[in-house]
Amino acid sequence: MNQQLAGYAPTPVTARMENHGRTMLKVAMATGQDLYARTGSMVAYEGFIQYEPNPPAVRQIASQWITGEGAPIMKCSGDGLLYLADYGADVIVINLNNDSLSVNGTNVLAFDGHLTWGVERVKGLAKFAGQGLWNVCISGTGWVAITSRGTPIVVDCGRGEDETYVDPDALVAWSPNLKVKGKRSFKASSLIGRGSGEAYQMAFSGQGIVVVQPSEDSTDRLRVRN
Amino acid sequence: MAREFQRGHKAKISDLTPGTDLYVGVQIAGQGLTFDISCFGLDANEQLSDDRYFIFFNQPKSPEESIQLLGAQAGDTESFRVTLDRIPANIHKLSFTATVDGAGQMSQVGPGYIRIVAGGEEVVRYAFNGSEFTTERAVMLGDFYLKDVWRFAAVGQGFDGGLDALLKNFGGEVAEEEPAAPQPQAAAPSFAPPAQAAAPAPAPSFGAPPAPQAPQPPQPAPSFGAPPAPAPPPTPQQQMHAAPTMAAPLAPQGGTVPPPAPAPAPYGQPPQQPQFGQIPGQVPPAAPYGQQPPGQYGQQAPAPYGQQPPGMQPPGMQPPGMPQGVPQGVPQAGAGLQAALQPYKETPTGQRWTPQNQQLMRVDLTMGGTPVLARQGSMVMYQGKVDFGYKGAGFAGRIVGNATGQEMQLMRCSGRGQVFLAEDGSHLHAIELQGDGICVSAENVLAFDESLQHEVRRIEGHGIPGGALFTMQFQGTGTVIVKTHGVPVVLPVTPTTFADCNAVVAWSAASQVIISSQVRLRRNAYPGHSGETVNLQFRGAPGNFIVVQPYEV
Repeated sequence: MNQQLAGYAPTPVTARMENHGRTMLKVAMATGQDLYARTGSMVAYEGFIQYEPNPPAVRQIASQWITGEGAPIMKCSGDGLLYLADYGADVIVINLNNDSLSVNGTNVLAFDGHLTWGVERVKGLAKFAGQGLWNVCISGTGWVAITSRGTPIVVDCGRGEDETYVDPDALVAWSPNLKVKGKRSFKASSLIGRGSGEAYQMAFSGQGIVVVQPSEDSTDRLRVRN
Repeated sequence: MAREFQRGHKAKISDLTPGTDLYVGVQIAGQGLTFDISCFGLDANEQLSDDRYFIFFNQPKSPEESIQLLGAQAGDTESFRVTLDRIPANIHKLSFTATVDGAGQMSQVGPGYIRIVAGGEEVVRYAFNGSEFTTERAVMLGDFYLKDVWRFAAVGQGFDGGLDALLKNFGGEVAEEEPAAPQPQAAAPSFAPPAQAAAPAPAPSFGAPPAPQAPQPPQPAPSFGAPPAPAPPPTPQQQMHAAPTMAAPLAPQGGTVPPPAPAPAPYGQPPQQPQFGQIPGQVPPAAPYGQQPPGQYGQQAPAPYGQQPPGMQPPGMQPPGMPQGVPQGVPQAGAGLQAALQPYKETPTGQRWTPQNQQLMRVDLTMGGTPVLARQGSMVMYQGKVDFGYKGAGFAGRIVGNATGQEMQLMRCSGRGQVFLAEDGSHLHAIELQGDGICVSAENVLAFDESLQHEVRRIEGHGIPGGALFTMQFQGTGTVIVKTHGVPVVLPVTPTTFADCNAVVAWSAASQVIISSQVRLRRNAYPGHSGETVNLQFRGAPGNFIVVQPYEV
C-alpha cells in the first residue's frame, strides 16, 4: 500500500509556495514570515503554525468585507509546512515581482503578509452578481496563490480597440490598471425566466491581462461551510 | 589531357603540373539541395588545430592568403585558389568537403566533380555522382596532402552527420570532453597569436564560444557546434584576449544553451559575483563566457537557490519586510506575474474553433461568418462586437422543457469577435461534421454552428428519468461542441453495446438505439430512486461509435 501512495509524498521544498498536484498549495512557513490565507482553506500542516481568525490588520484593511461570519481571511504564522486547498479548485502560484494583481475575493487562496493589499467593491456590478463582488488588490514583491475552477485562461486585454467582456462569475483576476465598467449586453427578451447575473458582463479596457476560469460557479465554498 | 581520377586515386601534384598556384573547382548540385563547400587545413595529426584554416563562406581566406575562397565561377559551384608554396609548415593537409545545407542526403546529388586547374588548364578531375553515396550528409571530396611533396587524392568519403560529424572527425580526439566543440581546445596557446595579428580580414574569432560574429552571415555558422546564439555585435578587438582564454569550454551541444551574454562581456574575466545566491527577480549578471558553472541561473534553477543561508544574500537586494531563512526560490518559469501566468495564455490560431484548454473553447465569429448557437450561460468572456440574441429551442425544445423541467435555451452569438465558452469546468470536445450526422444527448450540447441542421429527438422508455431521453441530432457541415464530465470513452458499436442512458453522451447518427429492458441495474446508492434504470442498446454497422462519460447525470 505504501508503494502506491508513495508517489504522493511531498516533494522537497524549493520555494515559498508550490503546487502539490493541481489543486493543493504547499507553503513553507517561517517565523516572521506571515501569511494571509482564506479562512477554512487549511487542509493539513506540519510544524508549529498558529492561526489567527480575525486579525486586526484585516479588520483595518478589509473592514467592509467582514460579515457577520467573520473575516474571510486568517493570518497564519509559525514554522512548518502548510497545505491549503479550496474544494478541488486549481491553484495557481504567482511570484509577484513588483507587480500588482486584482483578484476576485473568492479566488484568493493565500498571499504573503508583507504584500500591500486592499479590498474594494467592484463598482456598478456588485448588486447584480449573486453575493457581491469583492476584489482584493495585491501588489508588491512576494507570493500569491489564486484558485480557479478548471484550467484558467489569460487574455491580453490590449488587443485591438474592442473591449473585453467577462462574465463576472467566471472572472478570476485582472490587472488593476484596466478600466472596468459594467455592461448589459443581452437583449431584454433573453432575460425572461432567468434571474441570474448572466446578462451582465464586466467590460475591461486598457493594457493588461484578464484571467478567466472555465466555469461560472463562483460560489464561495469556503464561506458556505462556515 | 586532364587525368580522370577514380575514388582512391592519388598522385603527386608535381606529376600533374609544375605549377603551385592552383585553382580547385568543385561542382556539386542536386534537386532542391544547397551545399556548403569548405576546405579544412589540417595539421600532421589530421586535426584542425588552427581554425583560421577552416575556409568557408564566413572565412573566405586563410591568414596569409594561401587558401582563398573564390566563389562560383567557370561552371563550378565553388572554387578555391590554393598556393601550395605559401601554405604554412604546420598545415599538412587540405581537405575539400561538401555538406548538405538543410534537409537532404548525398544520394540525391547529380553528377559532380572536383578538379584542379593550373595555368588555365584542367589537370585532374575526380567525377562522382549520387549513386556512390547513400544517406550521407557530408562528403570529403578530395585532399591535398603533404607526404614529402604535396599530393592530391580523390577521396569521395561520406559522413552521415553532416558538417558536425566532419568537424568532429577533424578535431574529435582532442575534443573528447567537449565533443561538440573541437575548435576551442584546438586553439592551443602555441598556435594562436593575439587577435590583432589574426585579423587582417574581418576574421571571425573561431576560438570564442559565441557564434562567429560574421559581418556577412548568410548562415550564422551553427555548423561549428557553437551555441546557436544570435551573433552579438562585433566585439572590439581590444577585448580579444590571447589564446588561453579562448580555449573555454562550450556548453555541450544539445544541452541547454547558455543565455547569450551582452556583447561587451569580457572573455576570460574571472567571475566577480558568486553565481549562486541569486535573489528572485534579480537579473543575473552577464555571466562571462567560459566561466559558467554547470546548472547556471538561466538554466532550470533547481533547489539550491532557495536555500541559501541568509548571510550569502547581498544586502539591499531584498524587498523590505521579507524575512529571510525560508526558501525564496523562484518557480521554474521565473519570477513575476507574466511568467506565472504564461502557461495559461490564450492560444491564437487562424481557426474558427480553438480549444484553449480542455475546458475552454474559443470561437472566432469573424471566421466563416455564420453565427453560433450556444447554451445560455456558457459564455464566460468575449472580445469584440458580438451580439447575443435569444434563441429558443423551438417547438421540440419546449417539449424538452416541459418534459424535463429544464428547457434548453440557446443564445445566438453573431457579429465580429471571439467568444469564449465553458460550463462548469467540464471537458469540451469539438466534433467536426462533414456531411455526417451525430446524436448528442441534449444536456451535453454546449454550442454548435448555426449552419448545422439540428432537430430534437425523443427516446421514450419506461424508467428513463423524466419519461424520455432527449437528444439533438446534428447533420450537415459544421462543428458541435460537446461537453462531458471527465474523460469520456469512445466505444465502437458491436452487437452487444450497452450504455447507461444517463451516462451516454453521443453516438453516430447511423446507429440504431434500442431500449434494453432486459438488462436492469439496481441503483440502491441513490435514495429515493426507483432503483431501476434503463440501458440503451446500440446497433449499427461497423464504424459507428458511442461516447460515454464517467458521470451519470
